[in-house]
Amino acid sequence: MIEIKHLRKEFDDETIPLKDINVTINNGDVISIIGPSGTGKSTLLRCINMLCEPTSGSIVVDGQDITKRGCNLNEVRKKMGMVFQSFNLFGHLTVIENIMNPQITLLGRSRQEAYDKAMYLLDSVGLSSKVFSYPDELSGGQQQRIAIARTLAMDPDIILFDEPTSALDPSMIGEVQSVIKVLAKSGRTMMIVTHEMDFARKISNRIFFMYDGTIYEEGSPKDIFEHPKREKTRRFIQRLSTLSYRIDSTDFDMEPIIEELQKYGEKLLIEAERLTKLTLSMEEICINNIAAESDNPDILVKVEYSEKLDVLTMIIKYNGEVFDIKEAKSSKVFLSLLEEPTTTYEQKDLVEDKEGFSHQIMMNFRWQEEQK
Amino acid sequence: MKKTLIIFLIAAVFLASAFSAREKIETIEDLNGSNIGVQTAVLYEDLIRDRVPDSTFQYYTMPNDMIYALTSGKVDAYLIEEVSFGVQKANHPELECLEEPAGYINATCIIGNNSRQDRILKEINQFIKDSTESGLMDELYDYWIADFDPETDTCDITGFTGENGTLSVAVEGGYEPFSFVSNGHLAGYDVDFVCRFCRAYGYTPEFFEVPFEAIAPGVETGKYDLGMNIVVSEERNETGTLSDVYYTTPIRLVILGEDTSEIGFFQSLQNSFYKTFIRENRWKLFVQGAGVTVLITLASIVFGTILGFAVFMLCRHENKIANGVTNFFMWLIHGMPTVLLLMILYYIVFGSSRLSGLWVSVVGFTLMFAIAMIEMLRVGYKAVGRGQFEASTALGYSDSQSFFRILLPQAAQHFLPLYRNEVVTLIKETSVVGYIAVLDLTKISDLVRSRTYEAFFPLILTAIIYFVIAALMTKVVKVVEKRINPKRRSQDKILKGIKQWD
Repeated sequence: MIEIKHLRKEFDDETIPLKDINVTINNGDVISIIGPSGTGKSTLLRCINMLCEPTSGSIVVDGQDITKRGCNLNEVRKKMGMVFQSFNLFGHLTVIENIMNPQITLLGRSRQEAYDKAMYLLDSVGLSSKVFSYPDELSGGQQQRIAIARTLAMDPDIILFDEPTSALDPSMIGEVQSVIKVLAKSGRTMMIVTHEMDFARKISNRIFFMYDGTIYEEGSPKDIFEHPKREKTRRFIQRLSTLSYRIDSTDFDMEPIIEELQKYGEKLLIEAERLTKLTLSMEEICINNIAAESDNPDILVKVEYSEKLDVLTMIIKYNGEVFDIKEAKSSKVFLSLLEEPTTTYEQKDLVEDKEGFSHQIMMNFRWQEEQK
Repeated sequence: MKKTLIIFLIAAVFLASAFSAREKIETIEDLNGSNIGVQTAVLYEDLIRDRVPDSTFQYYTMPNDMIYALTSGKVDAYLIEEVSFGVQKANHPELECLEEPAGYINATCIIGNNSRQDRILKEINQFIKDSTESGLMDELYDYWIADFDPETDTCDITGFTGENGTLSVAVEGGYEPFSFVSNGHLAGYDVDFVCRFCRAYGYTPEFFEVPFEAIAPGVETGKYDLGMNIVVSEERNETGTLSDVYYTTPIRLVILGEDTSEIGFFQSLQNSFYKTFIRENRWKLFVQGAGVTVLITLASIVFGTILGFAVFMLCRHENKIANGVTNFFMWLIHGMPTVLLLMILYYIVFGSSRLSGLWVSVVGFTLMFAIAMIEMLRVGYKAVGRGQFEASTALGYSDSQSFFRILLPQAAQHFLPLYRNEVVTLIKETSVVGYIAVLDLTKISDLVRSRTYEAFFPLILTAIIYFVIAALMTKVVKVVEKRINPKRRSQDKILKGIKQWD
């Protein structure tokens, strides 16, 4: 139904939110577009109804290229609903007029027809008591449900949702999501830009993972969420954040690392105690043992935190003699740490490592709430 | 509230004048170091500058304003022609003058810088020469100046054949006994002189009341054919074409003497009221002036709103040329004092056309209001936010549908309060149109004051009329504001003609 070819968008400030998008949207597709901020998700959506004019490429809707001059965009847009992050209800109109007026003005429906349709939709989004309210009297969740009703009143062939729940309080996300869920099940074609992974997974049949102005990986929710094929997708899905350091001398200064880790912890809300354990382990293993045994040490330390799994991981790669962490010298605290159930570790030799190291120690630090 | 304020003001000025201490002044030299008032553009100060080197001169537009400057202690003396002093003394017995005149002035006519200049100059000089020989000039001088009676002296302003066309004449209008409004008509020495000249040479005079400082510039652009009562000085001779001298009169230094009259406060208030409104039906002048002010204001608001809206529509799509041109004019007009804008329009832009001062004012204020309108629309439009435009566009509204149905109604709520303020500003700004010979409320008040030698009543009444006009117009905008406020509609009106669900 919509065929996008070589779509590219450049802004005046020379950022390029869309580099080369090629994709076909079929009737009945429910597509979630996910990916880090600033990778062109919203721009893609806004190009599809030409709110944003693409720099090059084509968008063919029902056989008509809407990027061509002379295309009657207003007619095309009537068949495409759009739901905005900031709702954008018309502030000078009541709820009922917000839903009625576009039908009257654009579809030529009678006032009574428009009213009946509006009331039916208000009922279905659970807001029939707000007929005469003005948008600024409603909560964000209510406004967004009205906005969805306004879009539905136009009987669109496809609905574009641009981060419909991003501007909402957590308590209101649910009410809007459940309205969208019902719509998804009704067989409508929809595209949703969202940051809510579980939501995307539950309602869609296709997921686009966008990265750096392209659709980096595309697949079913199962493909993307459980078996992501590509590195960036995996990192995004598991919400990994990484730091890495290279230790190459015996009198290496740990202070800057500890400081950076603290900030990292603050940003990602990692408990201070867990970070302390990690820095203690890093110091024990790297400085007191591996580096102390070698004349010219070369150690690579990677710290990763997966928000999704809530696991803090430290990977230490090194060359030279193998070091068994259970036999660490003069480090009682460290050894007792290894005994804790929240700490796990794994030691192995590496074969054909990309970075050229031969041994690896991996430690995971979990956080355990009070035992039940 | 307003009344108490007014009474307080009156009382304050009376008290201030009663308590000001004075020393006896007898010679011109006694005035050295003091403040001396003089009328703008008459250049009398040059006559005594050498004798009072440490004095400061203060300039007044209206001769009678100097009386109040003197009684309230703002100046210690002022310069004025003997004739005017005579009239002032009749109304203000507390005024006195120094025995020695400050000098003599020779008044001439300035001839308009246009195609008829040479001919009119020749005719005027011939008329002065003939009249001097026939004794007419002396007769005129005695009637208007030596034995001037402000109540009864009149002149014949009829009987013109007009066979040689119309003569535009600039006179001060508030300058007894030379040109002033008496019983609703212009009269005075200058007026009489011009009328007699016109009858003799077959012209029909058309008089324009213009502030003194605007007479010479107006004549030099050719807007007027003749400007009256130009005092001869070297500088003037260089730029303007002047006729021969048509009268000579001594200049007096007026100081404050003893007030011998014993009129009570309320009695004097009553006198003021009578002089200002009742005598010569002067209230009619106020009505007429207020009418002019309202006309200029209303016309400028209507045209300015339309023009501003039209220009805004052209600029709405960020068209570079339209915006560039608009911004240039906005910058140009914004940066100019209103008086200058009006004078430039009157003397230069419309200098050669016969467009009256009234309509030039309407053009000027239309431009100013249009600019305010564009600015307001821009502010209101921005305040609506891009989201509303995007939402309507995404629904399929065309550009103009989304502008008129979605954006403008919301922008209106943002800019109408500003609009109200602009209307009030405009009403007040119109008070400068007197500079281009329009008899608006302020100018009328000046003219009446120049006749009555009363400041309080005309000034305060004028202020009150402005208040009333502003209040009425503000009220109208407020009503419109309420009318178009979408949030004030009733539920029945919103769903008019619809069978509602229960």
